[in-house]
Amino acid sequence: MPLTVIRSLEKNLSLQAKDFLLTMQEFFQFSLRAFFTLPKLKRYWRDFLDQATICGTDSIPIVLVSAISIGSLLAIEVGNLLEDFGAKTMLGRSTSISVIRELGPLLMGLMLSARFGSRNGAELGAMKISEQIDALRAFGTDPVAKLVMPRLAAALVMFIPLTALSDFAGLQSAAYLAEHYHHLDPGIFWNAVYPRLGPKDFVVGFAKAPVFAIIITLVSSYNGFIAKGGTAGVGRATIKGIVVSSGLVLIANFYVSKIVLENM
Amino acid sequence: MIELRNITLKYGEREILKNVSLTIKDNTIKAILGPSGVGKSTILKLMLGLIKPNSGQVFVDGTDITSLREPELYPIRRKMGMVFQGNALFDSMSISENLGFFLRENLKLPEAEVQERVAEQIKFSGLEGYEDQLPENLSGGMRKRVAIGRALIFKPHMILFDEPTAGLDPVSSKRILHLISTLQQSSNLGAVIVTHIIDDVFSIADHAAVLYQGEIIFDDETEKLHQSEHPFIRSILSDKILEL
Repeated sequence: MPLTVIRSLEKNLSLQAKDFLLTMQEFFQFSLRAFFTLPKLKRYWRDFLDQATICGTDSIPIVLVSAISIGSLLAIEVGNLLEDFGAKTMLGRSTSISVIRELGPLLMGLMLSARFGSRNGAELGAMKISEQIDALRAFGTDPVAKLVMPRLAAALVMFIPLTALSDFAGLQSAAYLAEHYHHLDPGIFWNAVYPRLGPKDFVVGFAKAPVFAIIITLVSSYNGFIAKGGTAGVGRATIKGIVVSSGLVLIANFYVSKIVLENM
Repeated sequence: MIELRNITLKYGEREILKNVSLTIKDNTIKAILGPSGVGKSTILKLMLGLIKPNSGQVFVDGTDITSLREPELYPIRRKMGMVFQGNALFDSMSISENLGFFLRENLKLPEAEVQERVAEQIKFSGLEGYEDQLPENLSGGMRKRVAIGRALIFKPHMILFDEPTAGLDPVSSKRILHLISTLQQSSNLGAVIVTHIIDDVFSIADHAAVLYQGEIIFDDETEKLHQSEHPFIRSILSDKILEL
């Protein structure tokens, strides 16, 4: 009996591993197709502009809200901590590094994973379920070029200014709280920010934008493309897209920081 | 001409099609009849190269499409028009945008010609006045006519219908069948119709094939269905509608 259970477990694990490897292979091919169709951007210019509005302009409010809240919280908490050591004048330095290197891009990535990623998963999933993606293929249009590539290009372009906006809003809110909560002179705050920020800090932060753009767009779009099982299937595809892309954003955030900081 | 030669298709462990062979000649209407979930729509997808068989070949005008890569399939697919069961209209586009979409997308025709062809299809489908409506604002029969118009706009040699009358009221069903029949007579267009409604087969199809448990159990002129001794065919001739 235990031997049967072990064999059955072994068979299940082997099937799961096979499924996982097949999915990875399909995802890799899907991603390559999305990149290889980038030269067709001119043809899908209008789709690109639509997606740039959705992931860029329309995402500004959520990026601002998250950046302002994290900048404010950092200023309050780090300021309290530094006060214990009599080092409150270093508040600008510590918050700027945290916001520009890590929290600005990371929160923007997570927010866009939820906003842009969920939209991709739901929209493409619904198109898959209603056979609209099959219709594109049936009439001779490459659905990856038409539906995924403009999303990828738009995210690659728009995530960089959104990162800058997130950094700017985070720092401004931190400066505001430093002045009004910790009663720190703005001159002291900004003097601790500007002279000490180096190119490395900006490279760490801004290198994450294209990485997150690729992760969020491809993972969420792929999950939409393979949706099956009716409206519940669209829901599952959307959730899976958000969960996987958010997890990968967190992992990528760590590795980009590590690689850049170790090599600059 | 479309030819399926010894096609076997499996989904996981389940064998959907077992050594299926079928030929659809130009300028004829062939119906593929069978219960729901038996793999009828899968046959249409195989004809378009949307899915690949585990074994066997699919020939479209003499070209084996099973060995072609996706971009190589696009020109071959444009020889055929497909009307999906759920219509697969682009729900964010108006009726005229749906009709003109693939002309703009794939043929890069001058805009005046696109407009002309769209107007032609609108008129043919009896949808004048609905050009700017979204698909969600139309009835099931009207949506089906838009889907047929979209399939015809490329002027294909063959048109593939997946359950063209499923879910339609009797009047709309009759209108769609009349439209298909008119097309074949006026445009010399070949058609493949997948259906589970036997009355539809007798109404318009010259030839019929019956798919049962993954195998073709009948493939001949429609009228010869009455001569078949196969128990399944006898039962559908008496019940008229399959599945349910």
